[in-house]
Amino acid sequence: MSFKEIGSKIQQAREAKGYSQKQLARQVGCSQSALSNYEKGKRRLYLSQLEAIAQALNMPIDYFMEPKTAPANGLVVEGEDKEMLRLLNEIYALTSEERRDVMDYIMFIRWRRYKGGNQ
Amino acid sequence: MISLDLTREQKRIVEKTRALVREEITPKSLEIDANGDDQFDWSIANLLSKHNLLCPTIPKEYGGLGMNHLTTALLIEEISMGCAGVATVMNANIHAASPIVLAGTKHQKESFLPLLASTTPALAAFALTEPGAGSDVESITSSAEADGEEYVITGTKDYVLNASAASFFATFVCIPPFHNRASLRAFIIPASTPGLSLGRVRNKVGIRYANTSEILLDRVRVSADNMVGGNRSGSGYLLLTQTLDRGRALVGAVAVGIAQASFNLALNHARTRIQFGKPIMKNQAVSFALAEMATKIELARLMTWKACWLIDQDQDHTTASSMAKWYASEAALEVTSKAVEILGAGGYMANTYADKYSRDARVLATVEGTNNIQKAIIASLL
Repeated sequence: MSFKEIGSKIQQAREAKGYSQKQLARQVGCSQSALSNYEKGKRRLYLSQLEAIAQALNMPIDYFMEPKTAPANGLVVEGEDKEMLRLLNEIYALTSEERRDVMDYIMFIRWRRYKGGNQ
Repeated sequence: MISLDLTREQKRIVEKTRALVREEITPKSLEIDANGDDQFDWSIANLLSKHNLLCPTIPKEYGGLGMNHLTTALLIEEISMGCAGVATVMNANIHAASPIVLAGTKHQKESFLPLLASTTPALAAFALTEPGAGSDVESITSSAEADGEEYVITGTKDYVLNASAASFFATFVCIPPFHNRASLRAFIIPASTPGLSLGRVRNKVGIRYANTSEILLDRVRVSADNMVGGNRSGSGYLLLTQTLDRGRALVGAVAVGIAQASFNLALNHARTRIQFGKPIMKNQAVSFALAEMATKIELARLMTWKACWLIDQDQDHTTASSMAKWYASEAALEVTSKAVEILGAGGYMANTYADKYSRDARVLATVEGTNNIQKAIIASLL
């Protein structure tokens, strides 16, 4: 999760709430240019700033920080879903070539299951 | 309009520190450097704690001096002129305290910050790097598993400054099942916690007063109350980046101090060394080299001051801090190398000030993120 991705999520959440940059900046207590730079990923924001933004947008801080494959709504994930989420995150961290290897293995498992069913 | 005038209070701190360094630290610096990482000499730490200088950024309400970053940089530069190892001990304390100052609960602040502002000297350590994770925090494998109201921490941290003398460790670990920036959390682990032990002592080439070791975390149990910033996604990562962005400016101050001390040594030699009937300073090859050294030091100092000023104004300081750290550490390398050249054969002798300055300067391009990492940060924010 880069600062650019966090910024992009802030922009999406702000627009979804119908706030202008000026309105949100005023609520958060920063300048409009600072907020603009946060959104573009051109300025790092820290815990206290992200807390203030999350509060102003009525969103959990997790929404801005979780990687793409993690739940973006602050839901607690347990059991099989947690396992699936872990798997997705592991795949997310792989290179394109390694992902192709994983895909090949999945295809092999499916083929084996298919063969097993036909015997 | 920008004023570069120091306040009366800042001038007082510089003068007082300069006297302390001249009388108490410089005369001992070669000895504590030679003793190295194997033994920690508490006499210097005692001296600093007597003046409440071990961690000058601790807020006044917790017994500290509440020093801002610019004044801290002035102090660190002066101390580094005497011994960069001593300044590094202070910087390590400032680092370890930083997450608590920034986001600690009242209880955490009351429990840990006064330790670093006491007249009984105490140190703290910042534990981030691992055998397999340096600048890449997503490779951190140390983890904290929730177990009721506690967390069980397992892993190894390496190159931990102040490790053998620390009262507590500000430690960054991941919450399973994930090992990424979002899962990073900061924990305060008291040194006496069962399961925490010292691993290999790291015998460094420079900044040898700042003892450095591995720390081993074998099912270390800490209360959930010891998590800094709360169990929210990314709290550890956001605190970490803020701490490092601030700390880099102070590495710049260490570099400026080493470079200035090295320059002073070379300048004095150039003025007093007579060859061919005149001081070697009269040769342009030497005087121009000194002019270049002086200019680079001044630029490094101004960049460091600017970064610290931005931090103190709560303005965007990431780029300025990375630039200051990068430029100042490179300047320190160049100046200390040139100083050895000007000092001639005497500059090449072991266990001399020139030798110490060169060795101390060498590490600055690596710590707090290598200089290539600084360039990556600067480029990402262009």
